[in-house]
Amino acid sequence: MKVERQDLTAQIEGIKKGGYDYLVKITAVDYEKYLEVVYILRNTEGSQDTTIEVELDPGDAWVPSIMGFYKGADWYERELYEMFGIEIKGRHVERLLLEKWNGKIAPLRKNFVWNTPYETSD
Amino acid sequence: MTTINIGPIHPSTHGVLRLVAEIDGDTVVRVEPHIGFLHRGVEKLVETRMYMQSPPYMEKLDYVAPMAYDEVYVAAVEKALGVDVKERAMYVRVVLLELQRIASHLLWLGTMANDLGQLFTVFMWAFRDRDMVLRLLEEAAGARMFYVNMRLGGLIRDLPEGFQEKADEVLDYLDKRVKEYEDYLEKNPIFMQRMRGVGILSREDALNLGVTGPVLRGSGVKYDVRKNSPYYVYDKLYFEPQVRNEGDCFARYKVRMLELRSSIRLARMAMEKMPAGDAVGMQIRLILPEAKNRIVTVNRELPRGECFMYLVADPQKPYRLSIRDPSFINLAAFGELAKGARTADLFAILGSLDMVMGGVDR
Repeated sequence: MKVERQDLTAQIEGIKKGGYDYLVKITAVDYEKYLEVVYILRNTEGSQDTTIEVELDPGDAWVPSIMGFYKGADWYERELYEMFGIEIKGRHVERLLLEKWNGKIAPLRKNFVWNTPYETSD
Repeated sequence: MTTINIGPIHPSTHGVLRLVAEIDGDTVVRVEPHIGFLHRGVEKLVETRMYMQSPPYMEKLDYVAPMAYDEVYVAAVEKALGVDVKERAMYVRVVLLELQRIASHLLWLGTMANDLGQLFTVFMWAFRDRDMVLRLLEEAAGARMFYVNMRLGGLIRDLPEGFQEKADEVLDYLDKRVKEYEDYLEKNPIFMQRMRGVGILSREDALNLGVTGPVLRGSGVKYDVRKNSPYYVYDKLYFEPQVRNEGDCFARYKVRMLELRSSIRLARMAMEKMPAGDAVGMQIRLILPEAKNRIVTVNRELPRGECFMYLVADPQKPYRLSIRDPSFINLAAFGELAKGARTADLFAILGSLDMVMGGVDR
């Protein structure tokens, strides 16, 4: 299901009320022209999964946090920020998830070549 | 308020994990796991390799149950390419995966007992028994620890002759041993006091935090991928997901002990029902038939919980492979679990989560 960014929180709230009580994964894919953030939610009673996709412009990459609905989103959102440079709005991030990562590059974007050397944070 | 640092090298963290704990007296106020010491960027590396060059990378994600991880990836590729798995191969895979689960749980049992002061007694027993299972896997797959024996549509080779008799012998022996472990540990007051009522995770929190596998089932949620969305022949085999309602460390321990038993039964059942035929899959080739499906998702019940792979397929390479690792999400819940615990209980809780750092860091 494709969703616009401004409708995301409302959509997720509605889906959660509809019995989807479990967050499986938040991930992202870089399609070069646009970034796509994927939310996979599950109804554990009926064992059904649903997927929500949000398209983002690579120059203006941010999504609202869904920590209010699923606490398990915490590390996934931090991972999204580190690996794709997608900013998470509406929550406080104290530090990066991976130790010694400098957080200046987004390694899972396609414009990052896998064998580029990088400097650690200290 | 004192801040103490634990790790990154510490015998009880089972790998390179650093914990920064804020403690008030002996009570933990806040604990934050620092991860990333083992980060290799597997998701990026996979994008640069052809499909069948990646299974060895996948195996190193969970080095305690490598075959199970290999299988998830190969299943994702099979789904993308539209390859069907042979009937006999499905049964052989189920047998091997259940044996792998037994080996993994035995290693957990040994290290967990070690963390709780049962120094090396259970550890040695469990390792000896695990080695018997590893020997079976070695016979079937050709290697002791890193197998890479999954091929598209089947396996590298069929089970060797006389495998069933040997496996039955080992499984009969293990059935007795599991009882012995339970007797030894559950009649031990120190072990029980450090497990019962420690690190309680309620049903709502478990769902909200998204924990998975034995941790989720230990909190009373009846969710097992093998039962809820069955793959291979799990719907033809009789078994029930093991659930406990207490949500403490003891519940998680008990779920794994019950799973050891159900895995023994499942392996036996699958061997009995196994049809004759061919189980050998495609040889490894770099150039494969073009992928039919662009986006595939696969989920599997690994020993540590549910692994979910989201694969965006290019014709010859993964365009993007996103891995949801069970240890990662279980460790993310550690901060919540440890709140209000005693400092010494940190390791009981950490041990009961059974995480492998290779998967957490990726």
